[in-house]
Amino acid sequence: MKSFLNKRAPYIFIAPTLLLLILFSIVPIAVALVISFTDMDLGGLANMDRVGFIGFDNYAEVIQDPVFHKAIYNTLFYVVIGVPLVILFSLGIALLINLGTSRIFKVFRVVYYLPSVTNIVAVAVVWSYLYNPALGLFNYMLNSVGLPDVPWLTEPTVAKLSLILLALWKAIGLNMIIFIAALQGIPRSYYEAAQLDGANTWQQVTLITVPMLRFAIFFVSITTMIGWLQFFEEPFVMTDGGPLDGTLSVSLFIYQNGFQFNNFGYAAAGSFVLFICIIAVTLVQLRLQKNETDMT
Amino acid sequence: MSSITAGKRKGSQEGKSGRTFQWISGIILTIGGLFFLLPFFWMMMSSFKPENEIVQIPPTLWPETFTLYNFQYLFENMNFGIYLRNTLIIVAFSFVGLLLNAAAGFGFAKYDFKGRNALFVLVLATMMIPSQVTMIPVYLILNTLGLTNTMTGIVLPGLVGAFGIFLFRQFMSTVPTELLEATRLDGASEYRIFLQIVLPISKPILAVQAILTFIAGWNSFLWPLIIANDEGLYTLSVGLSLLKGQYAANFGLQMAGATFMVAPVILLFTYFQKHIIENFSISGMK
Amino acid sequence: MNKLMRGVLDMKKVLAMITTLALSASLLAGCGTNDNTEGSSGDASNEKVTLSVWGMGEEAKTLPKIAEQFTAENPNIEIKVQALPWDQGHEKLLTAIASKKGPDVVQMGTSWIPEFADAGALADLAPYVEQYPELKQEHFYDGAVEAGTYEDKYVSVPWYVETRVLYYRTDLLKEAGYDQAPQNWEELSDAAQKLAARGDGKYGMSIDPKEQSLGFMFARQNGAEWFTPDGQPDFANDKFVEAVEYINSFYQNGSAPKDLGLDIIPAFKEGILPMFISGPWMIKLIQDQAADIDGKWSMAVLPKKENNTSLLGGSNLSIFEYSKNKDAAAKFVAYMSKAETQLKWMEFTSSLPAATAAWEDESLKNNEFYKVIGEQLNAAVPMPVITAWSQISQSYVKHFEVIYRNNVDVKKELEALNAEAVKFMK
Repeated sequence: MKSFLNKRAPYIFIAPTLLLLILFSIVPIAVALVISFTDMDLGGLANMDRVGFIGFDNYAEVIQDPVFHKAIYNTLFYVVIGVPLVILFSLGIALLINLGTSRIFKVFRVVYYLPSVTNIVAVAVVWSYLYNPALGLFNYMLNSVGLPDVPWLTEPTVAKLSLILLALWKAIGLNMIIFIAALQGIPRSYYEAAQLDGANTWQQVTLITVPMLRFAIFFVSITTMIGWLQFFEEPFVMTDGGPLDGTLSVSLFIYQNGFQFNNFGYAAAGSFVLFICIIAVTLVQLRLQKNETDMT
Repeated sequence: MSSITAGKRKGSQEGKSGRTFQWISGIILTIGGLFFLLPFFWMMMSSFKPENEIVQIPPTLWPETFTLYNFQYLFENMNFGIYLRNTLIIVAFSFVGLLLNAAAGFGFAKYDFKGRNALFVLVLATMMIPSQVTMIPVYLILNTLGLTNTMTGIVLPGLVGAFGIFLFRQFMSTVPTELLEATRLDGASEYRIFLQIVLPISKPILAVQAILTFIAGWNSFLWPLIIANDEGLYTLSVGLSLLKGQYAANFGLQMAGATFMVAPVILLFTYFQKHIIENFSISGMK
Repeated sequence: MNKLMRGVLDMKKVLAMITTLALSASLLAGCGTNDNTEGSSGDASNEKVTLSVWGMGEEAKTLPKIAEQFTAENPNIEIKVQALPWDQGHEKLLTAIASKKGPDVVQMGTSWIPEFADAGALADLAPYVEQYPELKQEHFYDGAVEAGTYEDKYVSVPWYVETRVLYYRTDLLKEAGYDQAPQNWEELSDAAQKLAARGDGKYGMSIDPKEQSLGFMFARQNGAEWFTPDGQPDFANDKFVEAVEYINSFYQNGSAPKDLGLDIIPAFKEGILPMFISGPWMIKLIQDQAADIDGKWSMAVLPKKENNTSLLGGSNLSIFEYSKNKDAAAKFVAYMSKAETQLKWMEFTSSLPAATAAWEDESLKNNEFYKVIGEQLNAAVPMPVITAWSQISQSYVKHFEVIYRNNVDVKKELEALNAEAVKFMK
């Protein structure tokens, strides 16, 4: 019996997690796939007899929906600008904090991490105030050094950038912590050897630290990418997709169609388009990573 | 704490460039840190202001009229005690999920078994599912299992997550295989290896995960609201959202609630990082 | 390649596993515990029953006070109130419908009634009217009754009402040459421009572009119908276009701000926005947050064009179709619709009674502010009770945003809205 258990160990390690994931992620997405081929709405939710199969109609319609196009454009905008910034900033801050040797650097760790623990409701209230056109702190600061107002949330492109700024503020902390944990996994002896060879701080960072962090960077870039493709909370609480749909993300589009208009079939179709895009992007990233190393 | 000895050990030249570097990075981090703290500072200040001062033009940074009314209202009129208890229960459960994630991460990292890659891709795929889509199906599954309106139903769907498994797997693949083999030769079972060798080595990543888990549990919002048909199961976040009226925003109350929710996290995190990450800090000289 | 094949095989196994799981889940459900603890069913007169009532936001925090008084009169019926946040109440109700388990009585914002009634989630109240005459529809304002009627079925009993009126700063309007509130569209526009002429970041009037009902309300005042006689949307007719152009003129001539970012109360207090259109909840907010301008502001019924029809909103109470205690629920709903209960409710929450008899009460009759609301209530209609309405009105907000930001051709934009509305109503 014991040896049997030992042989089966890997399966036993992964079984509970896998069961839960299948039950609460895989089965629901399969259900959603079925729903995406129907005209399910609130009435259909209450009474299954009212649900009819309509084939690919939802998909055909969502692909032609100009609002959906806008949402895709915005989401790409978020990803292309947001992801590199998150990685750059969180890695930079982690390196700086890790190099520091005085007490104050421990404080920085807490300071930069704080935003990621804050409740989104509170974040929305505070940031709406900072961005406020009339009495916002940001415009007040700009005016005090003689610069004009910025239309933070009232001009579509600027509004996207404003949301990226807010999301950065929220996302840096978590990734910074991951990088710090990874940095601490680098054996001290490497640095000592480099110091004996007369490498300065900058050389130590570029020649030892960054290459050793390859896994961490890969991990953070994949999870960040997936997170930003599902960018939802910030536009949801700050702008609700406005102005002129300028900040609407695909996730928010799905949410609005599903939970505000009760078009579950249509929303499910939209979400599968998103799901497939995310898978494609992730596979490309994994492929790139594979080419770089022999990681399986 | 060990910087002085470290500095002395280095050649004087590096010491100098190192110290300049320290100063530069310290200044950069301070400027960035001020920007990061600003919203918090404003939030906490506002929680001590009466409502009419929050909406006043121009805004005040420091409260003109200092009041504890907002906090008093929270505890007298909202069942914040019950909400707090539920939130803590959820947090406790989510730590069980943390262990399950760690076990799965270990399974994927250090064993070669049939179907490993396919299963791992399946796990990764769950991370890509937009949560807005699965909400109603998940609810129906819980309903079929008779778990609505129970604490189990609130905790179960979010108990494990691909992000955590992925993180553990990434970290544990760096654990030297020779070490595991040596322990196996001593006749230890796989489970003992996991508990006594791998988990202790993974402390930095466990610390990261523990913090994440705590925060996710602490801020859990939508599931408790949807699953609970009984206010006795609401969490702090749900309570916070109840403060918003249909027409009146109640900024002061919202700020006070948010401050009350963030303060314990700050304290815990400060304590936590001191005791766990510090032990593995490589900045110290051994 | 080999790996891939194995992967596919594994996927097959996984699929088999899912099927097994789904089957076992349904089996479990068959013999699982059904924790539907909504009290015992049957006759409400002699058995103990617990009713679960879902209310929204802060109101739900006050409901228990009234519920206590109800239980004092009916010791056999316990009331358990659950508060839902306004923003997420909708999701919560969706899941309740999906699982057919939910409250016995639920508060319905009037805009939600059509979709939930269409889904068959709201019980028909007609059978209870005889037993509980308080539920008779003639006791309430017509508009509120209309809002609670879906396809001629009485699905929701009026509870409290609100309607939009004009709030204005008497002192500032005097300076602009108006001794009383603007009486018609021309005067409103003229007063707004005169007030905006003060310059210095001051405006004439606040028009909230996110308010979904405003365009429809003004169109109605201009004598426009919303639908053709055969029930098709008709949002691009000349009168409708004229009304939207009128609203747009406020933005274009600078008398209404596009992006002020100030809350209405402080802006009203500072005189930045001396006029705005809003509901009765503002009375208390102004009194609380802008006490300095006491006596310098007043309220009036809306300015007239063809008529001065306002919007009627508020909340109704419905019995959930899947409730097992419909009799007790009807008893509670009837209690809530009594004039005296609604007056008490007003004391606690400042929301206004839907029962016309309550308006005979001294507290409402002699209050200068409430009098205005009472008068406007006689010319107030709810938004159309059709399921597509929430989508149509959100679509209107989007199109109106294009109109006032880019100042495009109003007729074209409304025709686009109309085309969408036709699609939504299919």
